[in-house]
Amino acid sequence: MLSIKNLCKSYHYAEVRQDVLHQLEFEMRSASSVALLGESGSGKSTLLHLIAGLDRPDSGEINFAGYPIHSERESILAELRRSQMSLVFQQFHLIPTLSILDNIRFQAALCQRFDNHYETELIERLGLVGQLDKYPHQLSRGQQQRVAIARSLLHKPQLVLADEPTGNLDENSSLEVMGLFSDLVKQAGSSLLMVTHSQAMAEFMDRRVWLHNGKLAETG
Amino acid sequence: MNTGFYWILKALLSHYWRHPWQTLFLTIGLVAGVGLWSAVQIINQHAEASYQQAQSLLGAQASHWIRSRRDEGIDQSTYIELRRAGFRQLIPVIELEVSNAAGVSISIIATDLLALPETVFDGEQSNQDFSKTWLDFVQPPYRAWVPAVLAAELDLEEGAQLELRDGRKLPPALIQAREQQGRRVLVDIGAAISLSGSNRFSYLSVGEITPAEYVRLVANLPGSLELIENQQHLDLQQLTASLHSHLTAMSLLSFAVGLFIVFNAVRFSLWYRRATLLDLRLMGCDLRHLMSAILLETLVWSLIGTALGFVLGVALAQVLLPGLGASLQSLYGATVDAELGLSAWTLLQAWSITLIGLLWALAWPLYRQLQRSSLEAGSTDVMLADETIARRRLAFAALLLACLAWVAYTQIETVTQGFAVLGIILFAAAWILPFLLARALSLVDSLLPQRHLLARWMISDGWSQLPALRSAMMALLLALTANLGVGSLVDSFRDAFVGWLEVRQSADIYLRTPNLDYQALETSAGNASWLADSHHRIGVSARWRDRPALIRGIDPRATDSLVLPLSRWQGESAASARQAWREQPARVLVNEQVHFLAGVEIGESIALQTDNGLREFEVVGVFYDYGNPYFQFYLPDDVVASNWSHHYSRGIALWLNPQNKSAMQQAESSLKAMGAQPGDWISQAQIRRLSVGIFDRTFAITAAMNLLTMIVAAIALLASLLAILHERMPQFAQWRALGLRQSEQLLLVAIPLLVFCAIVWLLSIPLGALLSWILIHKLNIISFGWSMPLVWEIGPALQLAVVVLLICAATLLSVSFQWRRQMPQALAQLGETV
Repeated sequence: MLSIKNLCKSYHYAEVRQDVLHQLEFEMRSASSVALLGESGSGKSTLLHLIAGLDRPDSGEINFAGYPIHSERESILAELRRSQMSLVFQQFHLIPTLSILDNIRFQAALCQRFDNHYETELIERLGLVGQLDKYPHQLSRGQQQRVAIARSLLHKPQLVLADEPTGNLDENSSLEVMGLFSDLVKQAGSSLLMVTHSQAMAEFMDRRVWLHNGKLAETG
Repeated sequence: MNTGFYWILKALLSHYWRHPWQTLFLTIGLVAGVGLWSAVQIINQHAEASYQQAQSLLGAQASHWIRSRRDEGIDQSTYIELRRAGFRQLIPVIELEVSNAAGVSISIIATDLLALPETVFDGEQSNQDFSKTWLDFVQPPYRAWVPAVLAAELDLEEGAQLELRDGRKLPPALIQAREQQGRRVLVDIGAAISLSGSNRFSYLSVGEITPAEYVRLVANLPGSLELIENQQHLDLQQLTASLHSHLTAMSLLSFAVGLFIVFNAVRFSLWYRRATLLDLRLMGCDLRHLMSAILLETLVWSLIGTALGFVLGVALAQVLLPGLGASLQSLYGATVDAELGLSAWTLLQAWSITLIGLLWALAWPLYRQLQRSSLEAGSTDVMLADETIARRRLAFAALLLACLAWVAYTQIETVTQGFAVLGIILFAAAWILPFLLARALSLVDSLLPQRHLLARWMISDGWSQLPALRSAMMALLLALTANLGVGSLVDSFRDAFVGWLEVRQSADIYLRTPNLDYQALETSAGNASWLADSHHRIGVSARWRDRPALIRGIDPRATDSLVLPLSRWQGESAASARQAWREQPARVLVNEQVHFLAGVEIGESIALQTDNGLREFEVVGVFYDYGNPYFQFYLPDDVVASNWSHHYSRGIALWLNPQNKSAMQQAESSLKAMGAQPGDWISQAQIRRLSVGIFDRTFAITAAMNLLTMIVAAIALLASLLAILHERMPQFAQWRALGLRQSEQLLLVAIPLLVFCAIVWLLSIPLGALLSWILIHKLNIISFGWSMPLVWEIGPALQLAVVVLLICAATLLSVSFQWRRQMPQALAQLGETV
């Protein structure tokens, strides 16, 4: 489903070139989950953005669902992000001016893939019943992250990319949200690639890979 | 509509539901800008339409006029003879200028309805009241048809008789108006004859006429009358064009100030929607859909702004039109219909300018934001770096504009070009302002001693406020500059005008009536104890260089002729130029309009059409002639009398004997005894009051526009401060938690604001002076053909400083209320845990 070959990415800071990813190789099957671990600044988020087509690699290939992400046109990448992927961030990225229900429905509405039954199930399992008419700023951070998770799964994407999704939550809430998140991803039949610092969060995933010196290594 | 597109639109537009203040300010900006612009546009187009129709008197097409060569009016018997000769298309008209007891000037127009062609009454004959209404109009005691606007102004009720200054009364009022009646009172010709006590018509209006009839009519006219083509609408367009250009320029300035509020509101809406736009892109919304949604949003705002702004514009036009209409009537004799006519074209223009303004203010920045990569778009650092780059680019563009203005200034030839240069200068000043404010902050910061930490912090906080206050400060600068510049222009004009009146209208009484023999009056009053001096003036109406002109014959030794103020002269002094003019018959004094508009210089010869063909006169002096739209030539009276046989009397000026305490009463008794009616003369005090009244009424619209522009700028400031408060509330909550009091936090907002306002105020003073200088020394001369000394005083600038302080105080007060209201929630969010 996701295949990365010979991927290189570097940045220039004050005329100094810094290689972030160097000839990186990675494979991911459908309906699997992978934790992407690494030190701060190792390039985890950069890799996630490259897979989502939010940034372009210097060289190498990223193939997802038969599409060459590394060279695809922006309009196709947008279509892929809309219907085949979803992103979950530490900062939730909810639309502050829409109600909770509208936020949950948003991406499903964009790709016109509604499933009312699944929507009700997600809302119930994530404990959002009774919050639907509220606005994001009226919810706690834990609740906001649940809304972001519901939004990312309602259209049942092939791949969910999560960047430290529980980084803003305390430990108990993190474990609770993460448990729900991984269950729901599996139930939706989606794959999950999650960037995390936390070994405890990584344990929820099928595989764990370590990014170091621009390359990935399995950590078992 | 595609579901996805609907959701994108919903996400973008929901911002406005959730941020009503921003929505309100965006609406106010649009409505104020569009409203002020369309008000003037409506007035201008309405006036234009009125001039176009000016040739039609009550619907009858006047291709020509028959007028007396000596301005003596036309005898009734001449009219009857011409009608008998088969000229059925002649319509008699009497025009009278009277004033009521309170001194309000009223124009009366009278005609013979029975002489009007039937087409005038099309569609009215079927009306049952038609016959009665018209019968009442044409038979004693007659009816005076008074326009509703004038009736309201005079507090006149239906059926009441308006009493004039001299005790005469108009026929009972019927409050209604016909097309092109304007502010004038319409009465039957019979009523006007009994009112004026003279059975002479002002002129005869000539309807459609064939070339053969034209030749026959000319042949039938007595020598004292002339048939002239009706060029009134062309003349009016030419004469009033500059006034309308000034108004348009002011309305565009108001629109620009309104646009700054829109920019301001848009910047904040963009700032707040930064995250939303990023989310939309992360969720796979493509640029095409986003751009379409933004264009639709722009379209929706343009429609809202146009609809509401146009309503405001119409309301403003209704308020401003009577005063302006009265001034146009007084200054140019132009009739502007009192009832406002609206056209779809004006509405379409208003919508177009709104849409263009919005595309510039809203769509372009949003498009720029969308063009960035997704990651850049969400970065605060990128936004702040953008701010610095934008400031530098604006400063650079401002310098380019300043250079362009410098070059363009030397090339100004038309009013439009002049206003374009003024626009460039104002925009250059507005665009360099953020750079100057930033430099000022750096300067103040560097001057503060290191130990004053709190003061340094307050100044350094200005950097955070600068992006938010940028547009509001630009709006304030434009408003202050316009106020100072236009205010100084009006003050200069008023000073020059009043001073000029002092010299020019030095006689105590001015008498003008066709019913009096002035020579006989001068002879009989010559030895009267009440009279010190008199000056009988004669004149000839003419056209010179395709504009209306007046050749005046004046007594070169009369009291006022001896001190006639000149702006330019030949020889050593004005006195020597006047002396040369007195002594040499081939010399002429011309008004400034001839010098500036026709480009005639001292020493040049001009050719005037006399009875004996063209005759050359050498220009030896140029005299001030404020507010006169016509070319004017002064020649000794004997020269005029000998060269133009159809000259006519322009009235007589009488200087009363200052030693005689009851000179005025004696003069009035004498004049009555000689056959003059009380309305035939006017005292110097009345002339000055009327002139200054017309002046103030003409510039009332300027004052109103200045005030409205300041209000718009104040709204921009309030909008910016509220946005700063909203955006920085979490920061304020943190400082509150650190122990900072509300007053200290308000100072944090107030000090940079006051520093910025002080800089804007300081900058507006030279800029206002420059604006005023260009208006007076360039545009006024191009527009009206006369100049005046620039009056520049610091008083108005100090008054504006107080106004700015009051605006700051009011906006800070509003902000402090909001601060108190929002602080509890902000504090609660500080300690939020999951």
